Amino acid sequence: MKKRGLWWVFGPVLVAFILIGALFLAPFSLNHTTQKNIQDASVSFSKDVVKGQTIKTAAFSDKQMRYVPFFGSSELLRLDTMHPTMLAEKYDRNYRPFLLGQAGTESLTHYLSMQEMQPALHKKQAVFVVSRQWFTKKQSKLAFSEFYSPLQTLNWLKSIQHITPTDRYIAHELLQEARIKNSPFYANLVTKISGNKLLSNHDKKIIALRYHTLLREDQLFSNVTVSNNWNKKVIPAMKHLPEQDDEDSLLHEATRIGKAQTTNNSFGIKNSFYKYRVKNNVKKLANSQKQFDYRQSEEYADFQAVLSEFAKQHTDVLFVIQPVNQKWANYTGLNKEMYYQSVNKVKQQLTSQGFNNIADFSHEGNKKYFMQDTIHMGWNGWVAADRHIKPFLTDGYQPTNYHINDRYLTREWQNLIPTDDNLSEFK
Amino acid sequence: MLNIQPYADPKYFVILLLALAPLAIGLYFGKRFALYEVIVSLVFIFLMFNGSKYHEGYALVIYMIWQWLLVWAYTLYRKKSNNSWVFYGATFLGALPLVLIKIAPAANWTHVSTLLGFMGISYLTFRSVAMIMETRDGSIKDFDPWLFLRFMLFMPAISSGPIDRYRRFVKDIVTVPTREKYVAMLEKAVWYFFLGFLYKFILAYILGTLLLPHVEHLTLLSASAHHGWSWWLIAVMYVDGLYLFFDFAGYSLFAVATSYVMGIELPMNFNKPFLAKNLKDFWNRWHMSLSFWFRDYIFMRLVFLMMKKKWFKSRVTISNIAYIANMLIMGFWHGLTWYYIAYGLFHGVGLVINDAWLRYKKKHNVPHNKFTEILAIIITFHVVMISFLLFLGFLDKLWFQ
Repeated sequence: MKKRGLWWVFGPVLVAFILIGALFLAPFSLNHTTQKNIQDASVSFSKDVVKGQTIKTAAFSDKQMRYVPFFGSSELLRLDTMHPTMLAEKYDRNYRPFLLGQAGTESLTHYLSMQEMQPALHKKQAVFVVSRQWFTKKQSKLAFSEFYSPLQTLNWLKSIQHITPTDRYIAHELLQEARIKNSPFYANLVTKISGNKLLSNHDKKIIALRYHTLLREDQLFSNVTVSNNWNKKVIPAMKHLPEQDDEDSLLHEATRIGKAQTTNNSFGIKNSFYKYRVKNNVKKLANSQKQFDYRQSEEYADFQAVLSEFAKQHTDVLFVIQPVNQKWANYTGLNKEMYYQSVNKVKQQLTSQGFNNIADFSHEGNKKYFMQDTIHMGWNGWVAADRHIKPFLTDGYQPTNYHINDRYLTREWQNLIPTDDNLSEFK
Repeated sequence: MLNIQPYADPKYFVILLLALAPLAIGLYFGKRFALYEVIVSLVFIFLMFNGSKYHEGYALVIYMIWQWLLVWAYTLYRKKSNNSWVFYGATFLGALPLVLIKIAPAANWTHVSTLLGFMGISYLTFRSVAMIMETRDGSIKDFDPWLFLRFMLFMPAISSGPIDRYRRFVKDIVTVPTREKYVAMLEKAVWYFFLGFLYKFILAYILGTLLLPHVEHLTLLSASAHHGWSWWLIAVMYVDGLYLFFDFAGYSLFAVATSYVMGIELPMNFNKPFLAKNLKDFWNRWHMSLSFWFRDYIFMRLVFLMMKKKWFKSRVTISNIAYIANMLIMGFWHGLTWYYIAYGLFHGVGLVINDAWLRYKKKHNVPHNKFTEILAIIITFHVVMISFLLFLGFLDKLWFQ
């Protein structure tokens, strides 16, 4: 047996720990984000992009290109030819969408994500796509843990100067989530906020240290996820778009593509989606949405938290309300009255607080080639959206005048079954 | 309440190694602080089974009292006489809690699961049943209540093995390794810890957390179009099979490394299993402490029993029956679901075929060279991967849910 001392055994371990320590505590930044990285990230839909701070900071402070956050969920993934990203790129407009969202991202996830990009929102513009499907009575926030990032929670805690009703509401919501509840460190801090107690200086010091470590981790790994969406989806789409940025020719082309891609079903659903996701269960799905109800949901309060963050940052926001595929809704028995009541509820929440930029497409789900599948906008739908998005973003930031009403955080609002009367009376 | 699961995150290793440091310093200077070791072990076991898992903690205590009395009583009996039926009875009683736990999910006995179930019951049962069998053989002569507890509750391996043997363990625990040997053990421990980090926290993470949900999702999506069969299923097979290895091998490396720090040479669980040249070779390399346990306490004993009672004339028949019985019992032990039992049967039949092939090869001088060896490794690997696809229950999800 070779005779070796303790240094031989533990020396390398010691060196490894020192190097790791240096890597995490070094006061300078270690990463370099290129234009191409940002471009790829803007259409990557990667969870790491939603969760991570580094790439978002780089994108929204980019000097050469004005990236505008597009908050939403699964509809953003439908990168077809008329998608806002394609149009902005093809016609070299003065903005580029940075898509933040995926199947499963809802208001609370967006609220936390906004905490680490406040400079990007402060007196700037944003687009927010609202899906009715978020506003379910039960089982909302199913995917919360997938998109949860401790770094965002720390950003939120750090930014609290005095505790607002929104902070208390968010704290209360976070404490329902296993990721926070089961972590003594976070549970303790969040419980203080929910109990209206400001964090001590000691807390702030620990947060700062933890923040530094997590931020470094984020910097080190934010470029790891590579997405090929730009090359695979965006560049090919450029060829199909008309040369002139003009609505009639866009609509013409959108109709042509939509027509060609919806041939195997009578719902106007894209062929591939129908073949893989619907066809085999189509009998079972008849009347399957009869019981769906979007009128009462915690999501209304989560959404309110998002609104108050926009107000706090004076963000100039355009809200896009997506329709549902009308033929599909009829087939699955979705209650029309309920649906429009829930749309009115959200619109009331928006307009009564001064959020007046609303592109409401809820009545257009029956238009041809407007929807790509059952609930997501496609071809003509994106062209219609562009009619609002383009002037809104090319004209640039307009000063805001929001007046937040914290009553929209309450159970009373969450559970209000909306009628014309009680909506206008709710104050 | 604080609940710490073994080897789950980096923090655990820091706490564990700090707690073990005094013990390691003692061993380095030629002293084994037995009492300290017991206290640290108990604290860690307590932290594993408290908080939301407190009922598992109670189950463990009840279980230990049961095994302790059983093994003690059988040792006392064995000193006076040696009736086969008493031995079978003692073995059955030793295995009973585990048998009940395994039947409980299939029979919907939720109260049995809550009352008797705790993480690691299988591995404790393997240890105590082996002690009963060796006591019958006469290789264990006395019952030492204190050493019995230290063996059964050896902290690094309590939840999932490796399965040590009593006599081997006692030899280590009552002595102190020489300094030279201990330093060599520490060197190995460092290597095993870091290899384990690579396996469990990097490779198993990439395979199990990043890739697996993705390929499973794609398989389930295409399942509706092609009656469950698609190319994606092959991806699931590789990803899930490799994940199984890196996750469990990583865990086993942690357990062995921790035991080395404590001056105990726990046996290794894996020895490059995917380089096995045939199925028998595979079982000498895969989850070794378990497969050797089954070999010594089930397979060999079945073979001897059948030979002694002269139930069959042919040795080949005897070993074939023993292979299938052995692997089926292993399948049942994994759980009473069709896919675990099918997995056991698959490997039982596989070993029978393997043996027949080896006999044929010997008789007919089948060519043997580097190329055939590589081919053998590739075939064995794929047979194993197919069996893992069965084992991991994804087919159940795909076909029946």
